[in-house]
Amino acid sequence: MSHVLIIEDDERIRASMRLALEDEGYTVSDVESGEEALAALEGSTPDVVLIDLMLPGIDGFETCRRVRRTSTVPVIVVTARSDTHDVVAGLEAGADDYVTKPFVAKELAARIRALLRRARPDDESPSTFTFGDVAVERDAGVVTRAGEEVHCTRTEFRLLCELAENAGRVLSREHLLERVWGYDYFGDGRLVDVHVRRLRTKVEPDPAAPQFILTVRGMGYKLVV
Amino acid sequence: MTPPRRGRRLRNRLGLRARVTAAFAVGALALSCVMAGITYFAARQSILAERQATAQHQAFVNASLVERSLRSSRSDLTQLLESVDTLPGSRSVLHTGGQWYATSISVSERTLPLALRATVSGGSAATQRFVASGAPQFAVGVPLPSVKSQYFEVFSLAEVASTLRTLAAALGAAALVTVVGGAALGRWASRRTLRPLAGVTDAAVAIAEGGLGTRVDAGDDADLQALASAFNRMATNLQQRIEREARFTSDVSHELRSPLTTLSASVAVLQAHRDELEPRAQRALSLLDADLDRFRRMVDDLLEISRFDAGSAELALDDVDPVELVRHALAGASPAAGADVPVDVDPRAAALRLRVDKRRFERVVANLVDNAARYAGGVRRVLVLPGRPGGDGRVGSVRVVVEDNGPGIPPSERDRLFERFYRGELAGRRATGDGTGLGLSLVAEHVRLHGGSVWIEDAPGGGARFVVELPLDPEGSGRRAPSDGALGTTGPLAAVVRPPSPEPPRPRGTVAS
Repeated sequence: MSHVLIIEDDERIRASMRLALEDEGYTVSDVESGEEALAALEGSTPDVVLIDLMLPGIDGFETCRRVRRTSTVPVIVVTARSDTHDVVAGLEAGADDYVTKPFVAKELAARIRALLRRARPDDESPSTFTFGDVAVERDAGVVTRAGEEVHCTRTEFRLLCELAENAGRVLSREHLLERVWGYDYFGDGRLVDVHVRRLRTKVEPDPAAPQFILTVRGMGYKLVV
Repeated sequence: MTPPRRGRRLRNRLGLRARVTAAFAVGALALSCVMAGITYFAARQSILAERQATAQHQAFVNASLVERSLRSSRSDLTQLLESVDTLPGSRSVLHTGGQWYATSISVSERTLPLALRATVSGGSAATQRFVASGAPQFAVGVPLPSVKSQYFEVFSLAEVASTLRTLAAALGAAALVTVVGGAALGRWASRRTLRPLAGVTDAAVAIAEGGLGTRVDAGDDADLQALASAFNRMATNLQQRIEREARFTSDVSHELRSPLTTLSASVAVLQAHRDELEPRAQRALSLLDADLDRFRRMVDDLLEISRFDAGSAELALDDVDPVELVRHALAGASPAAGADVPVDVDPRAAALRLRVDKRRFERVVANLVDNAARYAGGVRRVLVLPGRPGGDGRVGSVRVVVEDNGPGIPPSERDRLFERFYRGELAGRRATGDGTGLGLSLVAEHVRLHGGSVWIEDAPGGGARFVVELPLDPEGSGRRAPSDGALGTTGPLAAVVRPPSPEPPRPRGTVAS
């Protein structure tokens, strides 16, 4: 049974989310501030963390950044402001995905399920990819660069595998949203953009001038070996 | 119509610049006329006076010569007259002993004015200007009492007249040049004076089109600074007010989201345990769920509208296949409305790639379909057509057409349908009261943000036909999304909702979805 940690300052939202997620079969714990959440995370590691961006004290963005410093746990940010900047800032802070209030419980459950999925192995493709000095071992879930392990979130890892399995082919944002995030046609392309940026900082020698993960304007991304 | 009013009307019609130009031209004309007139008359006086003085002097010299000759001997008078040293163009006439003698057949005593002859006969010297044989003449008459004779000399002023004519022509030309110069100066001056006004006009237009951050730069002209600062103050107040209103709507919508989240999650839990409820409670839950859904859509729409009002709406562009997008959008619409509506695709549209904000495009199609389902008996069909080709013959836009089963929409209602919360004649036809009242206005806003347009026509075979035309690339077509501070409400709607244009090309082959 997967464990979800909810960080939300509004007591009633917290309680109702807890009820709804428990109905969906999750074990839920909840805290009302970023400070409490960071303390709770030191004791146990949940499978998914939901962070409300508007928190008193250290806000959701900062909480997200601090969680990311020590953990690769999947994070979904919950925002009341779906304005461009909040969503992108939340993703930049390290979130894997986002939901906008007011969300439907089923939708949130679907997002959580998608993040908990393991990378879908493609039988025909090899389980190890290399490009430059980067090596990806799909089954072990390990990425190394010049022999040293690179810490990737599960989403980043899935994205990297998807790109590497299809090295040389241009993958559209829709394709990546579907394969990596489990979205249908109307996923938010910014998810892909922010994650690609983050991935580049981990595997590219110069993230500003990528050599491996290339943007194909108007079409999507491709990984070249 | 009384003349003064007509005059005012003319002035108003001419415009300030034309009037200033005309005033300068008229002023230049008046000034140059006066100057030319003075110059002409002064020159004429001076030239005539000099010519007459010379003539008079010569006539007196000649007269004394003739008198001396007459006194000494009575030689051949004609020869005598010819020997008198005359200026070119002057002729002498002598009256002596009752006889007239002249140096030229072109003159005789009859040429001389009677008044002159009378005065000179009376013993006084006299001069007179007159016209003979079509040319101005000047005659000097000198009595020669010692020989009982009168000597006359007639000078032609034709040369002087010709000089004066040349002068007049030159002055006229100069006046003309001055008038043209005056008009040009007036035009330049008025343009220069009005240039700041043009700046204010541009700024006002920019503000009307949504650029609320537009301000006027007065430069360092003290006269203009008052206008510019007043204008800028007005613009700032307007901007603040609009932003305050937009922020208010946005804040309200945001505040509503928290309780909505709780409601939504709680109702989901209740729905999951529906079977445990009594039938009456189940009915109540259904009502709660349905209106919660409507409430949520309303808050979403209000928030969306407030983003347009605040100018913070931004396009997240993606390259898509328009047909696929339309099908997805239809699938996303409420099942009753458009799940199995046929989509007719023009083959030329099938090959097009469209750069749009997918979420907004989906809202546009879904709202149109929703609208048809609510008020017009559902969607009859959806068409995807290429837009009309541009100047280079290439298709630069795509049209999505939604036709409904309703009775059609009278032309007078068409534009107003895109207004927020517009009810109008449709109010009576509201089949289900669960619309948000913002659907079509959001359609217009989304389309406008893409630089496209939306309008309503009569569908062939009855019903209304909503046409959305979007450029294939909102950025490539030179129309960018409004920048910060842009306003997306009042004025711009007129630019979005346009009257029906000629029939778009009909699909040649159709593909049913």
